[in-house]
Order: sequence, then C-alpha cells, then structure tokens
Amino acid sequence: MKNTLEKKWVPYLLITPTILFYIIFWFRPVLTAIIYSFFDESNIFTLNNYIYIFKDPFFKQAVFNTTIFVVISVTLEFLIALSLALIINKKFKGSQILLSISLIPMALPAVAVGAMWSSGFASYGWINSILYHFGIIDANHKILFLAGNDFQSLMLIILIDAWQVIPFMMVILLAGLQSIPKDSIEAGYIFGGTKFTVLKKITMPMLKSSIQTALILRIISAIQVWLIIVMIYGYRRIPVLLEEVVFYKKQVLGFYRVALAYSVIVSIIVSIVSIIYLKVSGPSKGRKYKCTKVNHIKKYYIQHYFI
Amino acid sequence: MATLELIKLSKRYGKNIWGAKNVNLKVNEGEFIVFLGPSGCGKTTTLRMIAGLEEVTEGQVIIDGNDVTYLEPRKREVSMVFQSYAVWPHMTVYENIAFPLRLKKEPKENIDTVVREVAAMVKIEEYLERYPRQLSGGQRQRVALARALAVKPKIFLMDEPLSNLDAKLRVKMRTELKAIHSKTGATTIFVTHDQSEALSMADRIVVMRNGHIEQVGTPDEVYFDSENVFVAGFIGTPPTNFFKMNIKHENNQLKVFNENLEFALPNKIKNLLNNYNKNQVILGIRPESFEIVENRENSYFTEKILVVEPQGSHQIVALEIGDQIVKIVAPSFPKYKANDVINISFDEDRIMLFDIETEKRIRG
Repeated sequence: MKNTLEKKWVPYLLITPTILFYIIFWFRPVLTAIIYSFFDESNIFTLNNYIYIFKDPFFKQAVFNTTIFVVISVTLEFLIALSLALIINKKFKGSQILLSISLIPMALPAVAVGAMWSSGFASYGWINSILYHFGIIDANHKILFLAGNDFQSLMLIILIDAWQVIPFMMVILLAGLQSIPKDSIEAGYIFGGTKFTVLKKITMPMLKSSIQTALILRIISAIQVWLIIVMIYGYRRIPVLLEEVVFYKKQVLGFYRVALAYSVIVSIIVSIVSIIYLKVSGPSKGRKYKCTKVNHIKKYYIQHYFI
Repeated sequence: MATLELIKLSKRYGKNIWGAKNVNLKVNEGEFIVFLGPSGCGKTTTLRMIAGLEEVTEGQVIIDGNDVTYLEPRKREVSMVFQSYAVWPHMTVYENIAFPLRLKKEPKENIDTVVREVAAMVKIEEYLERYPRQLSGGQRQRVALARALAVKPKIFLMDEPLSNLDAKLRVKMRTELKAIHSKTGATTIFVTHDQSEALSMADRIVVMRNGHIEQVGTPDEVYFDSENVFVAGFIGTPPTNFFKMNIKHENNQLKVFNENLEFALPNKIKNLLNNYNKNQVILGIRPESFEIVENRENSYFTEKILVVEPQGSHQIVALEIGDQIVKIVAPSFPKYKANDVINISFDEDRIMLFDIETEKRIRG
C-alpha cells in the first residue's frame, strides 16, 4: 500500500524543482508584465498604453517594415539556404570546408555583425576601401550605402541579416537532407525521375518537417529583428516592432508600461503567425515533431520578450 | 524481358581500389541470375552499375543489344528492389506504385488497372490507401516489389531484397518471388550473400569475390562442380572439407597422405592427376559425399567422433583430424554420439581435386 502511494507521488516530487523554477522565473514575470500593461503608474486600470501604441504613427510603420522584412528575408534566406544545403549535401571534394566556412557568420553575435557591417557601409568604411583598392570606384565617387530611401535601407538590412542567418537555416536543412535515406532518392532516379522531379516529388516532401522547423524558427526570429537595424541606422530610422519595444523601454523615460504593452502585442502577433503557418503547412509526415515545434516556439518568444 | 551483357565491367574507387574488376557476363532472356558472394565482393557494385546508380570506370553494360553504359538510370528501363525497401514515406501505397507510371505519362485508367493488378500479385490490395509507416517490414517489401513490377521493366534488379525480413518470412518470400518470376518471365538479377537463397532461386549463380567473378553456373554446377577452392568453400552448409595432401607413387598406386591420413586414390580420380606435376594437391569432399561404413576394409580412414549436431532430417558428425575439423552429413539413423569410432568412406565420383598453388579445379 505504502509502496503504491510512494510510486504515485515520486514523479511529482521529481518535477517539483522544474515547476517551481518555471513559476518563479517564467510564469510570474510574464503574468506581471501582462498585468502591468493594463495599469498606469498610479495602478489604475487603463487601456491607455495600448491606445497610445495604436495611435503612434511609428507603430503602423513598424508593422509595415516588419512585414516586408519577414516576407522578403525569410523567402530569400530559405532559397539560398536550401540551395547551399543541396550543394553541400552532394559531398564533393571540399564540401566539408565549404560547410565550415559557411558556418562562420552563425558564430558571430548580432552586435558584432552589426558593428562589422556598419563600419563596412560607412562612406569611409572597408567596403569602399576595397572597391577603391581594386579600382572599381575612385576617391570622389564613394558609394553612400546608408543614404538610400527607406526601402533601400530595409533591403540592405535584409542582406546583412541574410548573411548572418542563412547558415542557421542551412544547417537545419542539411541535417534534414542527410536524414533522407539515399535509397529513396536513388529509387526516384531508377523509376523515371529526372533531377528536378526527384527534387520536387521526393526530396522536398521528405524534407518537409525540416523545412517547417527552419521556416517557423526563422519567421519568429525575423519578426523579432531589431539589433542589427539599431546597430546600423540607430533608433527610429527604420522602425520595426521589437525596436520600438526597446526604444520605449530604454531610450525614453516613463514609457516602461507602453513597452510592456508593446511586448504583449508582439507576442500575440508571433503566436498568430506561427499558428497560421502550422495550420497552413499541415502536419506532414513529421506529426510527431509538431508538439515539440509548438513548445519550442512558445519557449522561444516568451523567453525573448518577457525575461 | 530482355538480354543483358556485361563486358569487362570495372569500377575503381580512388586510385587502386577495385569495387568490380573485369566482370564479363551474358544473361539470357527471362533468366533469373543470382550474384552471390561475401560482403564487399562487388556484387552490389556491379548491380548498381547495371542500374546506372554507379559510374562505370571501364567496360560496357548492354541491354537488349543497346549500349547503356552512360545512360541515366531512368532511360535504361530497369527497375530495382532495394534492401531497405526504399518506398517513399510521404506517398500512400497506391501512390508509391503509381508514381513511376505517372512519370512515364501513362493514361490514368491504365495506371489504375496496373496498380491493382500488381497489388493483387503481391497481395497488398487492401493496403493501397495506407502509408508505408502503417505497414510491417514484409508488407513494405511487397510494396517495393509491386512498384518494381508495375513499370514492366526490361530487367529486374534486386539488391538483397529479403535480408531485412525475419527468417520465416524470408523463406516464404523466396517461393513467392520465384512464382512471380515464372509468371512474368522478367530477366532478373538478384544480389544476395545468402547461399541457400541463391541455390533455391537461381537459374544461374554468379559467385563473386574481391570484385571479380569466380564461377558462373547453375546451382548444381556451382555446388557439385565447383571451379575453385573459394566456391567449394563458400557454397554449402557445412562447407566442403579440404585436405592438403602430399602425393606419392607406391606399388603402382597413387597415394595421398598427410600427418594423419593416408590412402590410395581410386582409379577414376587418379587419372585426373596424369598431367599434374606438383607434389601436393587439395582434396575437396562435401560433407554429404562421405559415407559412414561398418566394415573397416571398405573405408578410407577411421576416426573418433568429436561432436554430433542433430538436425532432424539429418545429423552432422564432426571429427577432429589433426587440427582440422571435418564435418560429415549422415542420415538421421543410426544415431551416433561423441567418442564413437567410425569408418569413413566417400563417393569417389564426387571428390574434387584442386591445384595446390592456384586453388583451381584439376580436371585432368
């Protein structure tokens, strides 16, 4: 009798530390943040924090910029990462070296990437120096990379971001490609497939769960872009959602609760986008992954926003 | 249905590792050929060169008189069953079978008829709507088989298709595969390392080792008339017993001897050695070519039994002669036991003599 009772309680006892950890360091701050976003400084319930955001002209611009950024950067990065993964997966001479080289950007922190490229794109930066050195431009015709219009600036950010993020996507896709049995692909060739049909009808469907993982993680982190933009253009030159959160929290006094409200909005956007994406892309063969994927996503944005 | 010819087919990996070397073979229409050999002998490499999955270093692959050596796999009109089945997990059974037909742009109604026909042939009609992950290993293998049958290939290639199945199912599938072959009459190349599979299914067996062919022949030929020591030793369970013997002439007799045995060779065999001028020879005797006799005069040697392995239908009697274990297949009765002393004779017609240096068969 005592034995069965013990058996019943031991599992709960074992996970208690984890649960406590989550309650103290995760659930409590998240809850506090959500509650605070609905109160003003004198602790009176108010929707003003939210109303302020929706009236803020920068909010609209931030939503617009973020959308453009997500759509273009994720598409671009996915296509390049997939091509690279397919090439490296061919295992030719030197493919391992190419893999190592292509992983370098992933190892750099975003701040370093921002610093590197902002010094590169400055009018006296290293990119112009190189171009000058090779005689592509002369001293009077330096390229003013950072002087473009908003759209061009955003494109520049997309390129820099792609430079850093492609390896991350490529590694996920490459791992997926390597887990596809060689026989399945060869069977495709034997049974009448050209390189293109095999890629389209066999490789890609079998890669689906890796593609889903790569895209969802990337979409979520693309919605959260801010550091690179701030590093290169400073605040409010190209407003995006998370940059606004940081702006209200760090750059102006007295807007802490607006920043909290902003976080809540961004979280909701991320959740909606993720859920829509998972619904549209379907459960695929990776049904067993779906659960972990959703958890991953939850953890990912919650940790990034609230803690 | 088609003929296949391999001419000096070779595959080299790196600088001088040969996966297959100088493989010459002519396969007749409708023949069931088995490539047999230990792992790493080049049988799969050769099969993959026929399929077009492996680049050919030298030589030619000719199907129905056309040189296909450098054609893409899809243009060779071959189909293949893989060891790992290689059914596509994201397609239903139906789609798996229909996919190659769709790529060939067959009309829709036609595809449906063919899919149902081959599904019936391999008995998977009721699983057509399922995904491979919902099937057992044996059922997946049937799907792979159906897919290969559906395209009506010129040549059917099978790469150890049964080795992932459990022992009982393997034996059952053997019979079914053979029945399907006799129904379709498709020229088939079947790769295996399992000699009983080879012996039971093949029209002709191609025994391979280290990338080259050791012998090509019917199951009876490779078994009873092995070309060399390797083939005689590889085929058969238990394998052929070999005796390294010295030769001497004595009293008009030809005697062979070593530290433990000595006997005169029967006349029939003696003649084989007329043109043989080395003073040692390898004697190959299959376990079932021995006979345990009661009378010592009729025997070639007498020995104590080491162990007896009963097999139901027969018993395997093991003797220790010097440091060599000799196995004899005897009828189930009378029963023997360890330490019994028995007189051993053998069927003179079925002794094989091999050259001591080249290990090739001496045929007189």
